[in-house]
Amino acid sequence: MKLRVLAVLLLAHTAAAQQLNFVTCPIVRDTRTVPCFLAEYEGETYYLVVQQDISADQYPPQLLHEVLVEGTIDKGPRVCGGIPLKPVKLSVMPEINQACNTILPAEPGIEAPPTHRPAGPSTRQPGATPAAPPAPPVRPAPPFVEREWKVLYDFDSAFLFSRDTRTVNQAADYAVASKAKRIEIEAHRGATLLSNGKVLVEGESVAAQRAERVVTLLKGLGADPASVNVRVVSAPPRPDGSTDPQTRFVSIRVSP
Amino acid sequence: MRATWVGAVAVLAASAAFALAQQSPGTAWISAGTTGVLAAQTEYPTSTGRIGLLFSSGPVDMKAHPFFTPLGKNGRACVTCHQPAYGMSFSAEAARELWKRTSGKDPLFAAVDGSNCPNLPQDQEKSHSLLLQRGLIRVFLPVPKNAEFTINVVNDPTGCNTNPIYGLNSPTPTVSVYRRPRMAANLKYVTGPAPRIVLKLGALADTDPATGRPVGMNFMADAREATLLTQARSAAMGHGEAQSVTDEQLQKIVEFENQVYVAQIFDRSAGSLAEPGGPPTLGPAAMASHRPGVLGDNDYDSVFLSFESWKKGGDSAEEQFRASVARGADIFMFRQFWLRDVTHINSIGLGNPLKRTCATCHNHQMTGQDLSAGFVDLGTTNYPRWTEPPLYSDARDLPVFKITCKPEAQPHPYLGRVIYTSDPGRALISGRCADVGSIVMQQFRGLSARAPYFSNGSAKNLRELVDYYDRRFDMKLSEIEKQDLINFLGVL
Repeated sequence: MKLRVLAVLLLAHTAAAQQLNFVTCPIVRDTRTVPCFLAEYEGETYYLVVQQDISADQYPPQLLHEVLVEGTIDKGPRVCGGIPLKPVKLSVMPEINQACNTILPAEPGIEAPPTHRPAGPSTRQPGATPAAPPAPPVRPAPPFVEREWKVLYDFDSAFLFSRDTRTVNQAADYAVASKAKRIEIEAHRGATLLSNGKVLVEGESVAAQRAERVVTLLKGLGADPASVNVRVVSAPPRPDGSTDPQTRFVSIRVSP
Repeated sequence: MRATWVGAVAVLAASAAFALAQQSPGTAWISAGTTGVLAAQTEYPTSTGRIGLLFSSGPVDMKAHPFFTPLGKNGRACVTCHQPAYGMSFSAEAARELWKRTSGKDPLFAAVDGSNCPNLPQDQEKSHSLLLQRGLIRVFLPVPKNAEFTINVVNDPTGCNTNPIYGLNSPTPTVSVYRRPRMAANLKYVTGPAPRIVLKLGALADTDPATGRPVGMNFMADAREATLLTQARSAAMGHGEAQSVTDEQLQKIVEFENQVYVAQIFDRSAGSLAEPGGPPTLGPAAMASHRPGVLGDNDYDSVFLSFESWKKGGDSAEEQFRASVARGADIFMFRQFWLRDVTHINSIGLGNPLKRTCATCHNHQMTGQDLSAGFVDLGTTNYPRWTEPPLYSDARDLPVFKITCKPEAQPHPYLGRVIYTSDPGRALISGRCADVGSIVMQQFRGLSARAPYFSNGSAKNLRELVDYYDRRFDMKLSEIEKQDLINFLGVL
């Protein structure tokens, strides 16, 4: 029995060790094609993401800003000279840091992973892998049942990126089509446990800002203002170091 | 095609418009209240050749037309700042010639915004220095009630921002900035259909107050007016100091503006720009016939279409110049560089830096504007990348403001919480710190008729414009590449 407990603890430790949460300056690594974005932590270099465009799942960090990296070490080969983190959540920290300004030149043997978008204009040249065209909007159809959408945020940010506005748009379309009687918006403020034990808590007003932006967008897209109810949860949760990116969110529940 | 064009002009030889077209640019100035008929197709000389102007609805009778007729007390009409001979804008050189010819009495120099400040002695040239040297009109705006920042004047060469009547500490606190009039042409590209959500803002687009439909937010420097109609009303009441303007007058102004097309049509080195088999983007007829709203940031249907027919070059000076233009088009489309620290480009999920090309931002086919609502902070008005001298105390022309972001505000993404700027741009409308210095980009057409460039008129010519980009993005352009780009921009 004791051995089983020990084994479970070891497994838990191993799993925890694969998760890395840290704040650092991003590093840009140029290549023959598009640049990669890397980060160093405790003497090791990690691969974060490659330049794509706004259709990408993960957006690159920004020089002049630190990046909050919340990722899991991937066992695959190095990418662009760094150990890949996958999945990874990257947050551009809002304040300026002039020290974050490193661009490394392209070097033989360091290649960016394939992308659908080259560094120049988009192309249909042979060998290119253009992004799949966005799926045409589907008009919501009955039967209408209660549905929920969730918008996840970068740390300390209320900005709705292209991927996020698509989510809100879907919720608004559904609310309009279903003549929703109730739309419940719940906005949260998150916190993150870093691998060094430090806890980062988002700004006090960020949950309210998130709610305001989502509500404004929903109403502008046709949702009935009278049906919208808002709850702002400004108390941050206790971070656990693994699910923290999911604590920075707004949920939109539409009830026909 | 060229013969047809010349022929069409010749047929209209008796018209007042033709008479204007034969004059030098200086005397082609149309004063408010001028009568006569403008031909449907006209050419006006410029420093590098001729621009072509096309009214797609046919000749325009200026008599009593509200675009050409003063609507207010200062004698100005829309045409005062949107001159056919100057690409439906005007050049600083034209303003200087007008000052000389009229001893500063033309309504262009009206105290309200054609001078550095209304309190200055209006008969003196130096009181209009920004208009005469940079082609700038004073734009005076209140600080938004919801501003995420405080604003202080730290340098005030015009005296207007510290003036007790017109300034920031006046009973109606006002910020005076100085901007170039935009070209009132090719507007189907500028005001075309818009998505409901603005990519750069992550928020709803402004809407047409008449229809509720989203608008492109792309035809004023700060996108403060939603439609041509609201802009016309605002301009008549503000620039024109009109007491009232009727809906019928506004409608007629908008109808006129929506059928004006302008592009370079002849270049002294490249020859005719509208001949069969030539680059299909060139000339005003191409502007009139092409479809708006096409994204050109690709290698199969590019921003300015194809210059393939000019690539072959040859022995003649004309062929060599055309080959240079074609190389310039390729540099514009394909020359990669680090595009960095540009608010509303790098900050919207594309990453900073972004290894791309000019066409990434200047992606709207035929005009080179951004298809998305277009205000970005390239850096022209914000220290340290502004176009002004490095020390603001050395700047003799433009005011300098210190913007301090409030603690709860999202800071400017690349300048932080304290920003020195000569024009806060969009932030004077949105109130957002992140928008300080963001300005809607302009069309690339008919450039030779309407120098200087940038919203603050800081690039006297295309060389200075290209040099700014070369420095700003460390493009490392060679002298030949710079000249190719200049030649390319010059024929648009």
